[in-house]
Amino acid sequence: MFQLDVRSRKPIYEQLVDKIKELIIHRILKPDEQLPSVRMLSSQLTVNPNTIQRAYRELENQGYVYSIKGKGNFVAAIEQMTSDQKLLELKQDIKKLIAEAIYLGLTKEDLYVLFHEAHQQAKGVKRDD
Amino acid sequence: MIRVQSISKKYDKHLAVNDLTLQVKKGSIYGLLGSNGAGKTSLLKMIAGINRPDKGTIEINDLPVFENVAVKEKVVFIPDLLYFFPQATVAQMAAHYKEYYPGWSKDRFDQLKSAFNIDVNRKVHRLSKGMKRQVAFWLALSAMPDILILDEPIDGLDPVMRQKVKNLLFQDVAERELTVIISSHNLREIEDLCDHVGIMHNGKILIEKEIDDIKSDTHKVQLALADPTHEEHLLNQLNILHHEKRGSVSLLIVRGSEEQINKIIYSFNVLLYDLLPLTLEEIFIYEMEDVGYEIEKILL
Repeated sequence: MFQLDVRSRKPIYEQLVDKIKELIIHRILKPDEQLPSVRMLSSQLTVNPNTIQRAYRELENQGYVYSIKGKGNFVAAIEQMTSDQKLLELKQDIKKLIAEAIYLGLTKEDLYVLFHEAHQQAKGVKRDD
Repeated sequence: MIRVQSISKKYDKHLAVNDLTLQVKKGSIYGLLGSNGAGKTSLLKMIAGINRPDKGTIEINDLPVFENVAVKEKVVFIPDLLYFFPQATVAQMAAHYKEYYPGWSKDRFDQLKSAFNIDVNRKVHRLSKGMKRQVAFWLALSAMPDILILDEPIDGLDPVMRQKVKNLLFQDVAERELTVIISSHNLREIEDLCDHVGIMHNGKILIEKEIDDIKSDTHKVQLALADPTHEEHLLNQLNILHHEKRGSVSLLIVRGSEEQINKIIYSFNVLLYDLLPLTLEEIFIYEMEDVGYEIEKILL
């Protein structure tokens, strides 16, 4: 389903959390779809099952995943996600990047074009869905 | 659950293990790292119930382990120097193991045959070093232990086999909550295997933590300040393990969460700022440096 970079400095459980989040946000994993079991993912990726368990727990805390006892882990519906928090974080990141780009000569018009392009892209993803 | 309570062990005058306390939860893979001669093997032999500590207690599932058959039936120890009976074939060794370990599973042994692909009628002492290791793993996993103690286990296995053995261990951990203790100084090997690590030096455990916590708890920071005179003030606010200066850029190893460090550093006017998680190898080296076990730059 996905590959991990074992050489990366990023902890494996963080990589797992980020990858699964990405799949959920891009709707490759659909709401209420079951995530692979800890056992299966462990042998597929050759990753310690405790690490995978921990990643699933973290995803549950962040609202991306819900678990049913004895059945496994499922993708949460997008509406249920705490997207406000995420948006706030993203806005801060964007602000930092824009500040740097302005220093290097980015204009308001450039920014508008960028926004437009990104908007098109996002819509494109939805159409593929 | 393995509970080691303030144990010490002396060999003649040499204090190999010094008032050491350690806990390993059921279903966890615990990596024991350490400098050469730190006392890793001494500790493992005591946990396996082979040697008796001079002081302190070791309990596995709330029972003392030394010479206790009821406990040792469920513990398999693979030492760094393997021992097989002279002239014994793989099948004969399996028969011996079956006598000692009541949990022995013939089905498992047959299943694993396809994973290891070694003829059971071959004599073990004629096999290569790596193949002997494979036989040791094969026998150990077929004995279905609750606890598996491995001393420098990955030595001599080729990359494919390594991956296979890892996968087998993970399966047993996931399916029947096998507890594993592994000693090694090959940090890369441990990094993607364990969930907990303990770093040992001079008979003591220096740090013991969940591996992902260690990684998110120590960071490498590259930093240049607009006003260098503020640097001392900044450094005083951080918990610094290591500090190096290259021109106007400082390289720091800092303990603390990313958030904390960001907050402190952004309160200054920085020209350059980079924060990276550390590899286990770097953590090991810097922690060791902290206790005076340094890599000296030796030129001959």
